[in-house]
Amino acid sequence: MSKPQKLTVVISQAPGKNPHKRQLEEDLATQLMLAGTAEVSLIPQVYDLPEDHHAWLWLKSIPGDMVVLGWQYPRALRWTLDRNGVRGREGLTLLRSEEDDESAELTETQATGIGSVNVPPRRIFVLDLKLHTQPQPYLEEIERIAREATVPLVSLGGFSLGPSTPNTVSLGNNSSPAPTLRPATSPLDFRLTAGSDAPPVAVEARRRWYPVIDYSRCTNCMECLDFCLFGVYGVDGMDRILVEEQDQCKKGCPACSRVCPANAIIFPEHKTPAIAGAPTEDAGDFKIDLSKLFGAPSALEIAAQERDVELVADGRTAVGMTVGIPKRQADKPSGQRDDLDDLMDGLDALDL
Amino acid sequence: MPADDLVFPMGKYEARMPVDRQYTRSHFWLSPLATGYRVGFTAYAVRLLQDVYFLDWTIDAQTAVKEKEQIGEIESSKAVSAMYAPAEGLIREFNPALYNDPSLINADNYGSGWLYELETESPLLSAQEYYAHLEATWETTQRLLKSQYNE
Repeated sequence: MSKPQKLTVVISQAPGKNPHKRQLEEDLATQLMLAGTAEVSLIPQVYDLPEDHHAWLWLKSIPGDMVVLGWQYPRALRWTLDRNGVRGREGLTLLRSEEDDESAELTETQATGIGSVNVPPRRIFVLDLKLHTQPQPYLEEIERIAREATVPLVSLGGFSLGPSTPNTVSLGNNSSPAPTLRPATSPLDFRLTAGSDAPPVAVEARRRWYPVIDYSRCTNCMECLDFCLFGVYGVDGMDRILVEEQDQCKKGCPACSRVCPANAIIFPEHKTPAIAGAPTEDAGDFKIDLSKLFGAPSALEIAAQERDVELVADGRTAVGMTVGIPKRQADKPSGQRDDLDDLMDGLDALDL
Repeated sequence: MPADDLVFPMGKYEARMPVDRQYTRSHFWLSPLATGYRVGFTAYAVRLLQDVYFLDWTIDAQTAVKEKEQIGEIESSKAVSAMYAPAEGLIREFNPALYNDPSLINADNYGSGWLYELETESPLLSAQEYYAHLEATWETTQRLLKSQYNE
C-alpha cells in the first residue's frame, strides 16, 4: 500500500502589511514545514483572488481533506471557496478562542438553506486566524485533524508536490514579494509553479468587495435579487440565486445583506461582525449594542439609505423605501426558532 | 428628589424621570429653553450604559439633522452605541463640559451632564407617555439585553 497523502494546509494571507499577522502566518508555515505533518502553502487572501488566478486551479486540484486558515470569518472563507468550486463537507474544528465558554459544545450547524451542489466527500476545515495570536493552538488543531484525516490515495489530475520532504509553496503574495520563511530563499518556495503550467508570477491581488452567499442559510427567496438595483445577483441553470456580476457591487455597500431574511449574505470585509460572517453566538463576545434603543434606523431603512447613496453616485435617482423592499411574510410558516429569531423579534417589538 | 418625579423600576434600580420636561422613545429627555431644547440621556438609558468612557460627535454644531441620522458614538463600561438624532431639527451646540469628562453623564444626567441643544418642531412624549413606553417595552428590552450579555 502506498504512503497516504499528507494533509494539505492552505494559509490565506492577510492583505496589507500588518507585521503581527505576517508573523503568525510565517511562524505557522515554518513550523508546519518542519514538523512534516502537512503540505503547507501560502496564498494571497482567497476573497481577493481574481477568478483567473492560478491559485484557484491549484486549490481545485487538491483531492483530499484540507485545512484553510484565514483572517476572515470561517463562514466567509468557506463560502468563498465554495463559490469558486472548491467544495467539501464542513470539517468541524475544536479550535476556540481563549474567552470562549468551554461548555459551548460543538454542534453540527442546523442547515436550513438550499445547500451547496456537487459536494465531494472530502472535508474542508476552516480555521480563524483571529482567534489566537500564537501558532501553538493552530498547530495542535492541525495535528489533530491530520491524525483523523483519511486521505484518498489517488491524486487528481496527476498533480503532486513531489518528494516526501515537506514543502512550502508560495503562490505570490500581494504585499511582499515572497514570505520570508526560514530558510528565506528555499528553492522549494516555488516548487508548485515550477512543476505546473501556471506561471510563477506574484499577481497583485487588489482588494475586492462583493457578497458571498452562505447556501447553508440561503432559502432562495430572491429578496436580494429584488433589492439590489445594480445587477449583482442572478440565477443559475437550476434557478438558484447566485452572485452573477460581483464586480458591479458597490464597494462598502452591504445593503442586500441587511435585507436578507436568512442572514445568508456575507460581506467578509464589513466592520459589523454579523455582516462579515461571524457565527451568531459570537455576538456575546462584544459589549452590548444599545443602538437600537437609542434610535438607530431599522436594517431595511439603513439598507435603503445605503442603496440610495450608490444610486445617486451613479447619477441615478434615489428610490428610498419604494423599490424592492420585501413585504415580510406574516403568513409564512415559521421554521425552528433560534436565538437570532428571539433577538429579531425583540427588536421588532420595541417599535422604535 | 422632587416628589412628583415618576419612577420606573428596572429590577432593583429605580429610574427616575422628572415631569418638568419631555421625552423621546429613544430614551432622551428634552427640557425647553427660550428657543429649542436641552437634550440628555434619561436615567433609564444611563442605567443601561453604566460608566460612560467615551463620547464623540461626528457632526458639527449648527447642523441640521433628520430623525435617526447618526450624529456620534458612545462607549461605556457595558455598551457601545452610535448616537442618533432623536428628532428632525437643528443641533445648535454640544455640551462643552463633556468633551473632557463624559462621566458627567453618570454624575448628573438630568443636569450638567446634558448632551446638546436641539431646535425641533417634532412631537415629543410627556413623562407619563415615556413611562408607558418603558412599561410596554421592558420585557422585550430585557430579552434583547440578555441575548447580548455574555456573563
